Amino acid sequence: MPLETEATAEIRALVADLRPDDADMLEALHRVQHRYGYVSQEAMYVIADQLRVTPAHVYGVTTYYSDFRTTPPPEVTVAWCGGPACRLKNGAGIRDAMQAVLGIELGEDTADGRVGLVAGQCNGSCEQAPQVWVGERVVGRLTAARAVTLARALRDGADPASV
Amino acid sequence: MAKITINGTEVEAEAGRRLVEVIKEQGIRITNLCYIDGLEPYAGCRTCLVDIEGGRPTSIQLSCTAQVAEGMVVRTDTPEVKRARQGVMSLIMANHPDRCLTCHRRVHCQPGEICLRDDVVTHRCLTCSKNYRCELQTSTEMIDMGEYEEPWVGEVRSYYETPPPEPDRANPYLEFDPQMCIICTRCVRACADIRHTGAITLSGKGSSTAIAFGTGGPVHESNCDFCGACIDVCPTATLMEKPNKWVGLAEEWTNSTCNSCSVGCTISYGVANDRPVIVRPDRLNQFSRDQICVRGRFHYDAVAENQRLSRSLARRGERLLPVPADEALAEAARLLDGVRREHGGGAIAVLGSPLATNEEAYLLARIARDVLQTPHIDFSHGSIHRAVQGAIHDALGVDRLPSDLTSVETAETIVVLASDLEESHNVAALRIKDAVVKRGARLVVVSPRWGELVPFAAAWLQPSPGFEAAAVQALVRAIASDASQLGEPVVPRGVTASSLESAVEVVRAAAASDKGFAVVYAPNPVDAAAAGDQARACANLAIAARGQAAASSLHYLPTDANVLGISDMGVGPAANGMAFSQIIEAARDGRIKALLIHDDNPLLNGAGSDDIRAALEAAQLVVIDSVRSTTAELAEVVLAELPFFAKDGTITNADRRINRQRPAGVPRREERDGVALLTALANELGGNFAYADAAAVTAEAASKVAGYLPYEQVRSGRSRAVGAEATTQPRLQAIGAPAAPEGDGLRLVVARSLYTTWEGASMRSEEADKMHREEVATLNPRDAEAAGVRSGDAVVLTDGTHEVSVSVRLDDGVAPGTVYVPHYYDGGAVMSLLPLEGTAAASVTVAVRALQLA
Repeated sequence: MPLETEATAEIRALVADLRPDDADMLEALHRVQHRYGYVSQEAMYVIADQLRVTPAHVYGVTTYYSDFRTTPPPEVTVAWCGGPACRLKNGAGIRDAMQAVLGIELGEDTADGRVGLVAGQCNGSCEQAPQVWVGERVVGRLTAARAVTLARALRDGADPASV
Repeated sequence: MAKITINGTEVEAEAGRRLVEVIKEQGIRITNLCYIDGLEPYAGCRTCLVDIEGGRPTSIQLSCTAQVAEGMVVRTDTPEVKRARQGVMSLIMANHPDRCLTCHRRVHCQPGEICLRDDVVTHRCLTCSKNYRCELQTSTEMIDMGEYEEPWVGEVRSYYETPPPEPDRANPYLEFDPQMCIICTRCVRACADIRHTGAITLSGKGSSTAIAFGTGGPVHESNCDFCGACIDVCPTATLMEKPNKWVGLAEEWTNSTCNSCSVGCTISYGVANDRPVIVRPDRLNQFSRDQICVRGRFHYDAVAENQRLSRSLARRGERLLPVPADEALAEAARLLDGVRREHGGGAIAVLGSPLATNEEAYLLARIARDVLQTPHIDFSHGSIHRAVQGAIHDALGVDRLPSDLTSVETAETIVVLASDLEESHNVAALRIKDAVVKRGARLVVVSPRWGELVPFAAAWLQPSPGFEAAAVQALVRAIASDASQLGEPVVPRGVTASSLESAVEVVRAAAASDKGFAVVYAPNPVDAAAAGDQARACANLAIAARGQAAASSLHYLPTDANVLGISDMGVGPAANGMAFSQIIEAARDGRIKALLIHDDNPLLNGAGSDDIRAALEAAQLVVIDSVRSTTAELAEVVLAELPFFAKDGTITNADRRINRQRPAGVPRREERDGVALLTALANELGGNFAYADAAAVTAEAASKVAGYLPYEQVRSGRSRAVGAEATTQPRLQAIGAPAAPEGDGLRLVVARSLYTTWEGASMRSEEADKMHREEVATLNPRDAEAAGVRSGDAVVLTDGTHEVSVSVRLDDGVAPGTVYVPHYYDGGAVMSLLPLEGTAAASVTVAVRALQLA
C-alpha cells in the first residue's frame, strides 16, 4: 500500500472530487500539470488510486499527449509556432536560430534547466507571425537576428517578462 | 452451432466464436501475432487475414474480429490473402532484426562461430535468445515472404536506422529488451485482462510508441509481480525469463506440479542438458489452468545447482565431510539402529515435510510405524493443520472437505481470511480477482494487512492481529439464525464500524441468495490455537450462509504444497505419539535421542528457534535433503536427495486434486530420489521394503489410503482424493477471546511472502530473496515516528532476549501497533522471537530500536 506523504496528500486534495471514470483522467492530469508544471511519478500514483486504474494506465495517457511533461519544467518555456502563417514568414529560420543558440532541439531543455523549447500549435494570432511564446506571452514579428538576441538573453538569465 | 466452410471443408462451430480460434482448432496454420485465445481481439498485427466470401468492403477480412456465422465460406490460402499477409508482415519486420530469416548461412552456423560477412554481432541470428522458439520467426516463415519486395529486408529500414532502446536487466526474473518489440500489446492485455495487474502500458504514440512498465521506470519499480504471463504471450524476444535465457530452448517437456503452495498449479518443465531450464503453465489443473506465479516459474532455479547437495555427508569430528552414498546410508542406519536397540523405537522421532511427495510421506510413515516402531512422527506445521482439521471436523462432520476450488470462480460472494492471499497463494488470489472483475462477484477480505486483493474487495475488515476470528464471527453473528452457540461476543479490535457494516451487508445478501458462496481460508502457519479459532469462524460463516451445503462452500488452503497429502499418508503422531513441539521438548530433555528428518527444516519453519536449536543439537540427526539446510548443518549424517523437480510421485493440493510430479532431467551425480533413499534406509534397518520405484509405492498407498489411486488411474488436476459424506449435522462453533499479548511493544505479524522459496531460505542462501523486495520489516508510519526510525533505516526487533536485525519500510497497509516481518527473511530469523508452539501464547510484542553501528 503506497505511503501517504505530505506531497501525495496535497496532490490527492487536488483531484479529490474526480471519480473513477476515464473521462476524468485528462482533467486530473491538467490540474496536476497546471499546479506543478509537470506530472510526477507520485502524481501518477495518486491519480491512479483516485481513478481506480493502474499507474501504468496513467503513464500511458500522460505520454500519449505531448503537452504533458513527466519531468520538472525549465524556468522558462519557449513555444515555437509551427503554424502555416509563421512558416511562410521564415518560421523554420527562427526555429533553427533558437536551436543553434540554445544548443537544444525542439522538445528539449538546456542542461542548466533554464530554457526549454517546444513545438506550439497555431493560436490564431497570425498577424504577429512569425512568433514564439515565452511562457504565455506572444513575442511576434521576429526576424532571425531578433530570435538570436532573444535566445541569448534567455540563455544568459534575463527576466522572461522583459525580453 | 453453425456450419461454415474452411478451405473447402465443412466445419461445425459455435456461432459468434472468433473465427481465428476455429481455424486453429482445425489444425490449419494461421499467423496471429496479437491475438490471445479467449480475450477480446485487438486487431493490431493484421497477420490473420483470410478471405471471407461476400465480405464488405472487401473479402479480405481479419479472422480475429470475424465471428462465426451460418454459411460462412472461408479460404486461408488464396494468392490475394497471401499477398496481403506478406504486405503486413513486411511492415512488422521493418522495425525488427531479420538475420535469423535472411542470412544465407543461417542453417549452417554453429553457436560461437564468428560471422565474417555480417560483423554487426547484435543483429546476428545466433545472438537472439529466442532463435528457433520465436513466434515471429515462425510466422514469417509461414507467410513465406518469398520474392516479396523491400522494405522487409535490407539495411534501409527503421530498425537499422534508429539506435536501439536500452534493455532492462535490473531484476532477477524478467528481461525486457524493447528493441525486439513489435508492439503487438499482447503483454499489455495479458497483464491487465488475465492477471488484473496492469503493470504494462503503451507509452507515447505514432512511431515512438513503446511498451513501458509502471510509470516508465525499470520493471522492478512497477507493480509487476513477475508472474511471467507476459513472457508466455510475447511472440518475440522482448520479454524473456532472465534465468537460463540463453539455454532455454527445451529439448523435451515434462508435465509436473509446482510445490510452492497448496494451489498445486500444474506446470511443464522444459528440459535441456538434463536439467530444467524453463517453466510453462500446464493446463491440467482446472483451477490454475494457464497461470502460475513467480515461484512456480522461477523457484526451480532459486538454489543454484552448485549449491545443492551432490554428495552425502557424515560428521567427522566437528565437520561434515562428503562420504560415499552407501557409507552414509549404512552410517545413518547404524545410528538409528543403535538408538533403537539401546532405548527402543520410542526414543526416535521422525519429521516429514509438506514439500515431499505422497510416496515419500507414505514410506516415511511406514518407516516410523513398521521399522523404527515409534509413534512420534510429525512435521513442523503439523499442529496448525490438525487444529484446522479438528475445527472443520467439529463444525462440519467431515475430515476431508468436498469443496472444489473452481467453484470460487463462479461464486457470487467470496469471503477471504488470510494474511495476504495474493502473496501466499497467488493463483488462488488471481481466480478471486477473476470472479470480481469478470463476473461481478462481491469480495470481503479479512486481513490485518493490506494486500493486492484489497482494492478488489467490497469491504476490507482490518482486525488487529489475533482478532481475525472475531471479525469473521461478527459476520456470522449478523446472519446466524441462532447466535447462542457462538459463545460470548468478542469485539473485533481494529475493525471500523463502517467496514463491518459494508461486510455485513455483503454476507447478508449472500445468505439471502442461493448463488455461489465461498469462504476461502489460508491459515498463517505460526499459531495453532489462532488457526483453530479462525477455522471455526470460517466454518461457522459457511454454515450460517449455506446450512447443509456448508462443506462445499469452505475452502481450506494450507500454506505448503502437500500438507493434505502427507497427512493422509500418515505423517502425524500415531496413538500416544508426540506432536512437533513435544518432540522438540523431548529431544531437548534427552528423552528423544535421535531424529530422522526428511526435507523438513524446523529451524526455518518452527516457532521458538532457540528451543529447536537446543533440541537439534542435543539429539543425533539423520537428515535427508537436497540442500545443505541449517538443520542439516547440525546432523550426524546427511543423505543427499534429488531436488523436488527431479522427483517422481504425486502431491495432493488444497482442493484435494492428486497431481503428478514427474522428474525433469536425470541425475548426473550420485544423489537419489527420496523414494529410493527411504527404501534403502528402511532395508538397512531390516524393513524388507520391496519398492522398485515411486509407482510401486503409489500402488500400495492406493490400496491402503482411501481416495488415492495408482499411477495409471491418476489424472493430474482432475482426480481428487475426497472423503466420505458428513456423518453429522453442521454445527456452529463457539470461539473464545484471543489472549492479549504481553508487553507494550509492537505486535509481531509473521506470514508467507511471494518471492522467497522454502529451499532457498532453508539454507540462508543469498539467492533466496532474489528480488530484495522482502528483506524488510514493515511498520506503520505512526509507530516509526514514535520509534524514531525512517524508511530504509536498519533496526533491531527485540523481545528482550532475542534480536533480529532488519531494515524498515514504512507502509500504511500495516495497522498501527504492529510490525510485519516475512517468515523467510534471513532463513526464518524472525521465528526466534516467537515461543515454541503450544508452550506460550503465540502473540508476542517486540520493541523496535534503531541499529547502533559500532
